[in-house]
Amino acid sequence: MNAPSTFESFLLFEGEKKISIEKDTKVPNAALFTVNKEDHTLGNLITTQLLKDPQVLFAGYKIPHPLEHKFVLRIQTTPDYTPGEAFTNAITDLISEVSLMEERFKDAVRDRQEGSPV
Amino acid sequence: MSHIKDIRQKVHLTEHTVFNVNSTNFPGTYTDFDDMWSQERFEERFQIDIIKMSDTDMEFDMVGVDAAIANAVRRVLLAEIPTMAIESVAILNNTSIIQDEVLAHRLGLIPIKADARMFEYKQKDAEEPTSEDTLQFSLKIKCTRNNVSSDATDPNVLYKNHKVYTKDMEWIPLPGQEHLKAKGIRPVHEDILITTMRPGHELVMDLYCVKGIGKDHAKFSPVATASYRLLPEIRLLREFYGEEAELLQKSFSPGVIKLVETSDGQKMAKVANARLDTCSRNVFRHDELKDDVSLLRVRDHFIFSVESTGILPPDVLVSEAIKTLMGKCQKFLHELDSVNFGKGKHKKGGKKT
Repeated sequence: MNAPSTFESFLLFEGEKKISIEKDTKVPNAALFTVNKEDHTLGNLITTQLLKDPQVLFAGYKIPHPLEHKFVLRIQTTPDYTPGEAFTNAITDLISEVSLMEERFKDAVRDRQEGSPV
Repeated sequence: MSHIKDIRQKVHLTEHTVFNVNSTNFPGTYTDFDDMWSQERFEERFQIDIIKMSDTDMEFDMVGVDAAIANAVRRVLLAEIPTMAIESVAILNNTSIIQDEVLAHRLGLIPIKADARMFEYKQKDAEEPTSEDTLQFSLKIKCTRNNVSSDATDPNVLYKNHKVYTKDMEWIPLPGQEHLKAKGIRPVHEDILITTMRPGHELVMDLYCVKGIGKDHAKFSPVATASYRLLPEIRLLREFYGEEAELLQKSFSPGVIKLVETSDGQKMAKVANARLDTCSRNVFRHDELKDDVSLLRVRDHFIFSVESTGILPPDVLVSEAIKTLMGKCQKFLHELDSVNFGKGKHKKGGKKT
């Protein structure tokens, strides 16, 4: 059988990097980030967050082949900014959003458990 | 202005089409709005309310986030929270009519009540199961004839053990797993029918559970379903009285429209609880009503429903999902540091010249 092993969808191959960066040679301030072993969950999340940044001119992602577990994220920014910075800032913003979500969810669950008659 | 606000915040359902589906609140789309991401604005708008919560089911509202975040939480719940499930089966004897591989597949889908956070992933090249990564069950059962003299035809009376249930699986602690005895390792439900047998049929097998995630195989998914819908909003553009009001009430799910009595004794339709609506759009089948009702959904108000398989309670699953997302983001930040500032930036400078 030539079916790929199931763990290939989330375990990096030996020597494989999680994120690699490639500069777009035709457009200034643009880069392609290849993110291995991730899918729409993070691809769409990061792309949407990048679009919230006014200095990002373009952000989009694709999954080049359904059997290859990776996505390619293209970012183009204004001249006084770099795609790498935009990516880092997007992730930082996401972290603060997710940590607020974690906190508020915990509070909501605690209120619910304390409030309900046991 | 209010029209633009509607385009930004609401999905509009019409008779044949759904308008304004995608979020457009990004900087550069509108001149009069500042759509840049800001922590203060997010903190002000973001809200979580728990509507229902039990040991297996939960409904909660998540307000003020983009679909991307809600969807990420949903996808992580389905596919990236680890659980324990039967991964390999050593069949020593199977004389029942169900084939070995079909039986093994059925066994794999049984939810096992064990907190996967206490276990490690099994290394892919590891041969021997260890107490950190494996749970062992044994299933030994033989069907025999029951000694009844009556001329009964009911198999439940005629045979012993002719139905094999999950309660017949016995947990065998591996050396070093004595501390797990208090946790009550067992299948979540004791009455899942595994197979049926006839006298003389016998099953002898060892079952090995490992830790895994739903991305690998759906049997590892900790939820039966995890889904969200948007909060419906119904606008009545004129007043509806009498028979028309009753027709309007019937066009929606029960409890959505209420009839109130006016001072002159007429019945008038009012929106009571739009949340209950299934958004069937049935109201648009009535020509006399369809031009005066507007159906919308609030784009950033997600009504999540999470149904656990019973392994972990749903609130724990959602907090695990949020933690998983957080872990991924932090890993990215760490990786980006090494990619960007380790070589990426210098390389860029070098390439330009």
